[in-house]
Amino acid sequence: MTAGDGSRIRRLLGWLRRLLGWPRRLLGWLRRLLGGLRRAPGWLRTRAENVGRIARWEVTKNAGGLDKKTVVIALVALVGLGALAPVVLSQGIALDDGIYRVGVSEDSPYYDAVAADDTFRIQEPDRRALLAGNQEILIRGDRVARFADTTKGRAAVSELRSTVERYNDNVMRGETNQSAAFPVLVNLTYVSRNVTSVDPPPQFAVSGPDEGPDDGTTGDTATPGGGTAGDGTGTGSDGSGTDGSGTDGADDGTNGDGSGTDGDGAGTDGTAGDGDGSGTPGDGTDGTDTNDGSGGGNVGGSNIADRLTGGSASGAPSDISPPFPFRSLVLAFIFVLPLNFIIQAYGSTILGERINRRGELLLVAPVSRGDIIAGKTLPYLAGALGVATLITLALQGSAVSVLAVVPLALLFLSATFLGAMFARSFKELTFVTVTITVSLTSYAFVPAIFTEVTPIALISPLTLVVRDLQGQAISLGQFTFSTLPPTLTAFVMFGLGAGLYREEDMFTQRPIPLKVLDALAGPISRVRHVGMMTAVLLPFVLVAELVVVALLFALGEISIILVLAAVAIVEEVAKSLHIYASYVHSRFDRGLRRALTLGAASGVGFFVAEKFQLIAQLGDLQSRDIGQAQQNDLAVLGADVPLALVAVGLLVAPLVLHVVTASISAVGARRGRQAYLGAITVAIVVHFAYNLTVVSILVG
Amino acid sequence: MSGDGLLSDARLTIARRDLSSLSREKTIVLALLIQLFIAAFSSFLVVGLSSLYDPGSVSSDGIVVGVTGDDAQALVDAAEEHESIRTLTYANESRLRQAYQDGEVHAAMVTDGGGGRIDVEVLVPRESIETTLLVDQARTLLETVERNEREIRSASLERTLVPVPDDVDASQYFGFTYTVLVPLLLFLPPFISGSVAVDALTEEIERDTLELLRVAPLSLVDIVDGKALAMVVIAPLQALLWVFLLGVNGIDVANILPLLAVVTAFATIVVVVGLLLGVLTGRRRQAQLLYSVVVLFGFGLLTLLPEHPATTVAKLAVDSATSATMAHVAGYVTVAVLAVLAARAVVARTDAEALS
Repeated sequence: MTAGDGSRIRRLLGWLRRLLGWPRRLLGWLRRLLGGLRRAPGWLRTRAENVGRIARWEVTKNAGGLDKKTVVIALVALVGLGALAPVVLSQGIALDDGIYRVGVSEDSPYYDAVAADDTFRIQEPDRRALLAGNQEILIRGDRVARFADTTKGRAAVSELRSTVERYNDNVMRGETNQSAAFPVLVNLTYVSRNVTSVDPPPQFAVSGPDEGPDDGTTGDTATPGGGTAGDGTGTGSDGSGTDGSGTDGADDGTNGDGSGTDGDGAGTDGTAGDGDGSGTPGDGTDGTDTNDGSGGGNVGGSNIADRLTGGSASGAPSDISPPFPFRSLVLAFIFVLPLNFIIQAYGSTILGERINRRGELLLVAPVSRGDIIAGKTLPYLAGALGVATLITLALQGSAVSVLAVVPLALLFLSATFLGAMFARSFKELTFVTVTITVSLTSYAFVPAIFTEVTPIALISPLTLVVRDLQGQAISLGQFTFSTLPPTLTAFVMFGLGAGLYREEDMFTQRPIPLKVLDALAGPISRVRHVGMMTAVLLPFVLVAELVVVALLFALGEISIILVLAAVAIVEEVAKSLHIYASYVHSRFDRGLRRALTLGAASGVGFFVAEKFQLIAQLGDLQSRDIGQAQQNDLAVLGADVPLALVAVGLLVAPLVLHVVTASISAVGARRGRQAYLGAITVAIVVHFAYNLTVVSILVG
Repeated sequence: MSGDGLLSDARLTIARRDLSSLSREKTIVLALLIQLFIAAFSSFLVVGLSSLYDPGSVSSDGIVVGVTGDDAQALVDAAEEHESIRTLTYANESRLRQAYQDGEVHAAMVTDGGGGRIDVEVLVPRESIETTLLVDQARTLLETVERNEREIRSASLERTLVPVPDDVDASQYFGFTYTVLVPLLLFLPPFISGSVAVDALTEEIERDTLELLRVAPLSLVDIVDGKALAMVVIAPLQALLWVFLLGVNGIDVANILPLLAVVTAFATIVVVVGLLLGVLTGRRRQAQLLYSVVVLFGFGLLTLLPEHPATTVAKLAVDSATSATMAHVAGYVTVAVLAVLAARAVVARTDAEALS
């Protein structure tokens, strides 16, 4: 037997040993699991005690942190403010006092109208002044003789028009013959429909009885009071008084219009308003009876939220007002505003731990980092929820609103926590807090604006709140889709910040890039942690990509290329930065094989997380071209391709791409910063080329 | 002690030092970015909203309204006065509703002439982006109808109506831009300056670096002076930048110098208040809380003035300034100067030892 044979046999034996070791390892794992389960209740109790104690300290310490003098002065000022408020309100705040100058003489019929509006300042009519730009409108007799042809002048005329109309309406209110004074009575109804764009017929013709649209759906053949789908004014599950209508077209009898109220919003599932069939048949033979119908679509319904922001919908033409364009905006704002104040106090206390090594005592105490962080955060979270509950009660919402605010509050708090761990002074913290405020408020806000319009609004939990306040039912799937990503993101941010909650990072003035690497490398000690971290960073990737899409959307055609490039950059950084961080912290050896393994782990992690996200988002972004550029894989589903190709397109190709590009970056990262930058550039180019190829295959 | 030369140099040094520490901490960049974001986004908001007003954004021909009923003709006649509204007449209500559902018309109006009045039921889509525009246009159309009808029935009316001026193509958000947006952008820098000033001073006190400053031949007054100088200077600079950005966005701001004077005056007052609070309390949390409360209270008090500062700024920006406006500007500048003098007197009397 040669030495070579011997070593081969040894290797074989080694393999066999490892193979047989698997069951033993499995048993050991099971034993550890059972032991852990047994210890769980005690572990939980300890955690709860620690967290509770720290939370109590947080509350009592902070509450006692303000001395009596300060509190007294603050209270006095607040009381003074409260006393001031009625004075201010009675005077009224007219911000636009006297910004337009009108030349009108006292004998003109316009004089009274102009004098009634504070926006105008009355001067002597003077043509030269107008030409010199000191007067906007010149009125001679009973007509507007001239006006300055500037933006300001035209705005002034527009304002004058509405002033005069208001004045006329006031005059008419004193008339005895009211039907001559107000000859038009309007009833505004909101009726949903399925079409997304309006395509008017080109001719001006009057559509006679033979030419009308004749789809065979019941149009004029419905029997009076007949028709089943959402006819008449049945009441749906919401109390909001706005109507959806049975939109199958089968609802219009010649009387009674489809103004049933139904529970869901317009087109959340693409089926706009399933009128629930058993409404009472519309009565009366003329349309005016719907005025008396049970809130037949009047927005001035019973819901406070509606009353807050919905316009009045019946009366003289000047009485109707369009709904505030973003009615959800007001509601959303009320919920988000208190959070902005809470995070200021929270950030202050976290940063306070780092000043003068104050937090050192807690660090050496026999409590874990998680306990400390949870204990410090708990009072502020509870405060946020308390305020949200109060607001919900005031607006007559349900528990869903409060539950939907939880992820938002967690997001604010976690971002502040991370910011406070990075900030190097209170000055810096102030501005970090303001940045967080602006960006998270926009995140919460902007999708909620489109609550009624598109399901993409569900990205923000505030949409749930708005829908709940409008009395719409919310499905569990929608709730999960809306709240899970922000909650997970919040926990990721807490986790990253916890990585920094140690002496080296808390009490020193380490430069921020180094802190970022510290935070990323913190939880990584094995290869699989790299993959998990990549997966966990996916929400941030999505957010970044969405921001990019939103910003570039307006640029038109070129935006597609830019989006592809930006997407490539964001994803590559997310896949490889923590690998670089772990190399900097020497977590792994710098061999080539190790680098490739790390790259594979990262790529797989990204791929898996991405597929989860795609499943959740099925169909949401398909209608937008730009979104489609992102959802390359998903678009393949719609095309007529054989299943094998679909599998390749959907599964294999992206996986290969992610693994390859992550490996390229990892191989560069093991050598140092310059090599890493070079490698990641190559990876970005590869990824961009892939994106471009896929998009041109699909589109071209 | 070598006279004023050394002392003013020292103040400038402190000011420069504070400013450079701001830029090194990237905080001023952050502040600029945030306000830049607000300014840019708001401009877009204003432009975007005013393009909502412009019917060209809905369809190339304006909006199409389907009408039916006994008084449809009145609506058609009224629509002829508006270029952006086109009407289509339908034979009966069900056809019109069908057309509305099919998307042939943007909005639908069903009229009924019973009872001596015209009753109109208006159908608009349920809260979509275009709903505001449609309701607005519908209201315009119906107000025209109302006007025409009043003229027809003028024999039955006792009073005369004031003739409404002809329609012009105007931006609906002109007022909003100049009375809300511009004052907001101009008053934000002073507020931030004051907040940063409070932080700057209390941080020095809490980190015990104030002692080091005082070991140099500087009095507390000089230190406060230097910090105030730094914080006051950045406010008008920011204001200038926003004015420039607004100009790029098509919002022209007039009377820039008086506006800068107002901004500087307010920045001075607010920074002085902040620094005083810092000196008097010596602790950051107290100082910040009191600062916010006092500024809020002060802003509330300002509404008692004959002209609110926001109105002053609006009038100056829109070039409608009166002598009263200018008097207010002079008043603010005077108050700022007095505040500085008073603050220096107070600080001079403060015991610096007690602070550390």
